[in-house]
Amino acid sequence: MDLIFSLLINGLATGMLIFLLAAGLTLIFGLMSVLNFAHGGLFIWGAYTGVWFYQMTNSFFLGIIVAIITGLLIGYVTERIIVRPVYGNHIQQILITLGFMLVLQELIKVVFGPQQIAVFPPEWLSGSFLVGDVVLIKYRLFIIAVGILVFAICMFILKKTRIGLIVRAGVINKEMVQSLGINIRLVFMLVFMVGAALAALSGILHAPYSGNLYAEMGLEFSILAFIVVVIGGMGSFTGSLLAALLVGLAQAFMAYYFPALSLAVNMLLMTIVLVFRPQGLFRVKG
Amino acid sequence: MNLRHVERSTWIYLAFALVLFIVPFLVTGRSMQFIIIQIFIFGIFAMSYDLLLGYTGIISFGHVMFFGIGAYSTGIIMDRMEPTIPNMLLSVLVAFIIAGIVSFIVGILTLRLKSHFYAMLTLALAGLFLVAAEKWRDVTGGYDGFTFRVPDILRESQNLYFLSLVSLVLIFFGLRRLTKSPFGRVLMSIRENEQRTESLGYKVLHYKVIASVVSGVIASFAGVLYIISIRFVNTDVFATDLTIDVLLMTIIGGVGTLIGPIIGAGLIEFAHHWLSSLSDVHWIFERWIILYGTVYILVVIFFPLGIVGTIRAKFLGSSAKKGLKDNQKSEAI
Repeated sequence: MDLIFSLLINGLATGMLIFLLAAGLTLIFGLMSVLNFAHGGLFIWGAYTGVWFYQMTNSFFLGIIVAIITGLLIGYVTERIIVRPVYGNHIQQILITLGFMLVLQELIKVVFGPQQIAVFPPEWLSGSFLVGDVVLIKYRLFIIAVGILVFAICMFILKKTRIGLIVRAGVINKEMVQSLGINIRLVFMLVFMVGAALAALSGILHAPYSGNLYAEMGLEFSILAFIVVVIGGMGSFTGSLLAALLVGLAQAFMAYYFPALSLAVNMLLMTIVLVFRPQGLFRVKG
Repeated sequence: MNLRHVERSTWIYLAFALVLFIVPFLVTGRSMQFIIIQIFIFGIFAMSYDLLLGYTGIISFGHVMFFGIGAYSTGIIMDRMEPTIPNMLLSVLVAFIIAGIVSFIVGILTLRLKSHFYAMLTLALAGLFLVAAEKWRDVTGGYDGFTFRVPDILRESQNLYFLSLVSLVLIFFGLRRLTKSPFGRVLMSIRENEQRTESLGYKVLHYKVIASVVSGVIASFAGVLYIISIRFVNTDVFATDLTIDVLLMTIIGGVGTLIGPIIGAGLIEFAHHWLSSLSDVHWIFERWIILYGTVYILVVIFFPLGIVGTIRAKFLGSSAKKGLKDNQKSEAI
């Protein structure tokens, strides 16, 4: 029983991290129909800069702030330089964002060195609670809490504020939004930057969770995010949360019971969804 | 066959191929010959990719899986059986059959999807092949891989040179014939406007699947040649880096031109060799992917037609192809 419980917590924590990465991906796709293959690059940049600052100042909180700022900055640069010239051309978008992903990944090795970096959770988050005979690892609970918080904030912004209304309307019909006199380009950029910041946040949270950092992690992890975006439905925010939790749980349980099959199961999930329900489980209604 | 009907460009290509047949008598250094052999092999690989990207407008990020299938088929058969020519031909046949079946199934399942889904799915599928090769250690030897013997005649660098050159030339002319045929025209019309092609009555999925099977089989052949040339196989033959290499070769050389990917292969292989030899000078050259990535981004933005495509567009004017510039409407969700 306690094994199942700890796998559950583990899966939810992984799911939340994937959700943070996938949330930006799905909003960017829904709003601008850009599939950002460079998203994994933002993830590792957030992780490395955040960890660098965390290890320098010994404050995890500052590390998170730095990671988010890095995400916003790189997101801005990416949108301006890489994505803007190729709006509306899918083949070029896919090719160019993949190229940028490579550049980001290799730049990490230039700036921070090619070796793996060991990362530990800060003191106030290491250790665990004991409830009955179930061990709850603090850091995992922390990730779950942050994930829920981010989801709640984003949901609030999306549902209750004017900018959220514009974003939701843009996902459904961007020409209409534009014709109502709203500068959709500005909204694009904001969403792109927020998505990038979420990816960076996911990166810095992931670092102490997995215990080490390496540059290829971004591409590996973003494959999971792609799977989530497909399963959840491109452009659906709630869909990506549920799909991320599903994938996280599948990952955790399979990794324990059938380690060889853990990636295969998620791939299989994605293939089944793509074949039978290409629009994803949660279609954005227009 | 009436020789007058043969296009002028065909003569030029043939003459160029003849020059290449003389090269091994002039360049006798083994390492140089090895690089040229690699260029031929990756030229074949890149041409197979061009059939998808350049002619049909499909982006696959998992093309390496067919390359790896070819590599492992030959590697395993050569290792388990006697390294003779008939066994090698058998391994080629096995590679073709497996690659054909895999590309057929993948194509049937996924080619109906929009381009991003296809790109993503192939990226993930190739990842799956990589994981499978790592886990199935009894057969593949995992990351450590294994060495094996090849038929004696192919140990000779010169013979291997001729084998890969002949393959390159045959596949080049074969693909050229294919792309100039009515079938090839349909592929190009799919690239330009999928919906219109469909409404003209062509079964688009049908054509896309055939293109992906042809491309997959040729890629597996490139894998076979590659593995014979290095006589060692490990999971690197499924690595994403190879897909990216072949993507670069195709884009830089010129999509939808066939000769472009070969030129791209030459450039990338030489750059590879040259830059990694520079890494003794300064460590930054070990990170040559940054340079590649930057060049690649610039090419995609400013020269989407690549080297050959840009030259053709400049000098031949009217026959300029649209290449990567597909239109938004046909892709809109």
